[in-house]
Amino acid sequence: MSEFDWVLKGRCYRLGDDVPHAGGVIPNRYIIARQFDPAELIPHLFEETDPGFHQRCRPGDIIVTGRNFGMGPKMNGYIAMRALGLGLVCDSMPFLAYRAAIGEGLRVLTDCPAVTEICESGDELEVDFRNGLFVNRTRGVSREYPAMPEALMDIVAVGGNSGWLKGWWQQRQNA
Amino acid sequence: MGMTAVEKVLARASGKASVRPGEVLYPVPDFIMIHDGVVMGAKHELDALGIDRLAAPDKVIIVTDHDVIYGSARAAERGDFNRKAARQWGVQNFFDVGRGGHGHIFPMETGMLLPGMFYFDNDRHATNAGAIGAFGFRVGAEISRVLATGTNWVMVPKSIRLKVSGNLKPGVHARDVGLHLATRIANGSLKIDLDYRVLEFAGEIGQFDLAARTALCSSPTEMRAYGVFFPPSEEIIALATARAHRPFTPVYPDADAGYEADLMLEVGTLEPQIALPGGVERAVNLSEVAGTAVSHAFIGSCGSSMYGDLVLAASVLSGRRIYPGVRLFIAPGSERSTRRMIDDGIMKIFIEAGAVLLPAGCGPCNDAVIGPVHSGEASISTAANNNTGRFGARDAKLYLGSPATVAASAIAGKITDPRSVAASQDVLRLAREAA
Repeated sequence: MSEFDWVLKGRCYRLGDDVPHAGGVIPNRYIIARQFDPAELIPHLFEETDPGFHQRCRPGDIIVTGRNFGMGPKMNGYIAMRALGLGLVCDSMPFLAYRAAIGEGLRVLTDCPAVTEICESGDELEVDFRNGLFVNRTRGVSREYPAMPEALMDIVAVGGNSGWLKGWWQQRQNA
Repeated sequence: MGMTAVEKVLARASGKASVRPGEVLYPVPDFIMIHDGVVMGAKHELDALGIDRLAAPDKVIIVTDHDVIYGSARAAERGDFNRKAARQWGVQNFFDVGRGGHGHIFPMETGMLLPGMFYFDNDRHATNAGAIGAFGFRVGAEISRVLATGTNWVMVPKSIRLKVSGNLKPGVHARDVGLHLATRIANGSLKIDLDYRVLEFAGEIGQFDLAARTALCSSPTEMRAYGVFFPPSEEIIALATARAHRPFTPVYPDADAGYEADLMLEVGTLEPQIALPGGVERAVNLSEVAGTAVSHAFIGSCGSSMYGDLVLAASVLSGRRIYPGVRLFIAPGSERSTRRMIDDGIMKIFIEAGAVLLPAGCGPCNDAVIGPVHSGEASISTAANNNTGRFGARDAKLYLGSPATVAASAIAGKITDPRSVAASQDVLRLAREAA
């Protein structure tokens, strides 16, 4: 777990409130098709609102959203975000969306009130997911948000649920 | 500060003196439930990882309620897979076709699910456990980790307390309360967000028996509640004690428990409700849509398939026939109820009325694997929800009401106030004794 990068440094990509998973994050057809292959999903992340996003984003960039992000218990969009090396910071997200993001190994902070008011797209951000420290280097402001629960870090560090289960089983076999 | 009921259940299952909302726990469940529709996915996932044994096969309960009579060749294949999976995993508590019934109903009736218990479930209607004073936690596809390791993470949810005041008028049912409650939340007159919350009932809840409490677990779940909880009454403790397979410890909230919100709900003036097509939160007084023609009717689902619900519907249907061109499906919650209906003469009422008895389980409410609606039809049912396309054509109009309302509407061929139909008092007496 020590080699896992819990601090992301990158640019802000700001979204508003109530962005649904289907359509808002990834086109619904990939959700319905149960497409879980990162390579297939990456070109379509935010495709309906911002075509070509995947070519402009860089590993370490941080998606910052308003309230109620990612409605729906689907994980397809988070698979693409993780594969692109992105982080996610939300004012709030429905629990099932949060659980789905953790399950796909995404670095995510939620319950960050009014976070969209202290950043704009393109700002240079630094976010430490271990302690919730959110720094906007461009504006010189910082906030302390709730950290990612320690108990969930071992899931995220190994790439989500399937990675965790694989590691758990191997460890058990070797014991 | 003290703990809410569900906080106490989680603390006990996690071996902790106390827990707080937001805390992440790995509780040890009293049992693990998985239904027929998701066994295959979980088995494939574990097989791919080489995980060929479960942490606690004796705790696992596999139920067959989503596609009981195999409406397709694919379902028959899945049934065959499930039987093999149960054998390979060594799961003794495998409730195959025609055994058990609806996973969120029969365990309460047979003493498997008891007050104070905690369990993991793949399905979100695990919230029904709150009717008997227990807590079932939905993990969706992550049930695979529970099967393999015996637990999974649970973030302690916040609780909201809802104090009921007043007594329901005759002919008004707990499902009416649920539809009304959902609508009050959606229109903002009750200022709460149920996402991942536990809705803990308080106040004048002595009027609600186990069937009514189960009905009241339904609509909050559709509004994204993760749990519903009723402090068990003396009657429910007596019932659980009589059926229990093992000792249990009921849980009650502390007087100084912390709630995110504390609300009142007056039910004494409530009229029968109808949820308009599109969602449980679109309820209006029945009188506003009385007379709307229907051709499809269904009584059952996790919200309305306890024995008391079935008997209530039968009291309205007794001695009557359903309207020409209407088909009425009855899906009991359990095989136990099906047998009781034979013993009590309820089956005769349904059959003589022209209703069709389905096997115990979800009925049309699961994705229309059985008894769907056709394009342009109108349906009235007690389904868990009436979201667009829930059981058939997307342009069908799905209305929801109480079991009595559905029965009265099936007789008249149009949405009908159950209070306008004289119910059989003899049958109703059975309902009171049925609990």
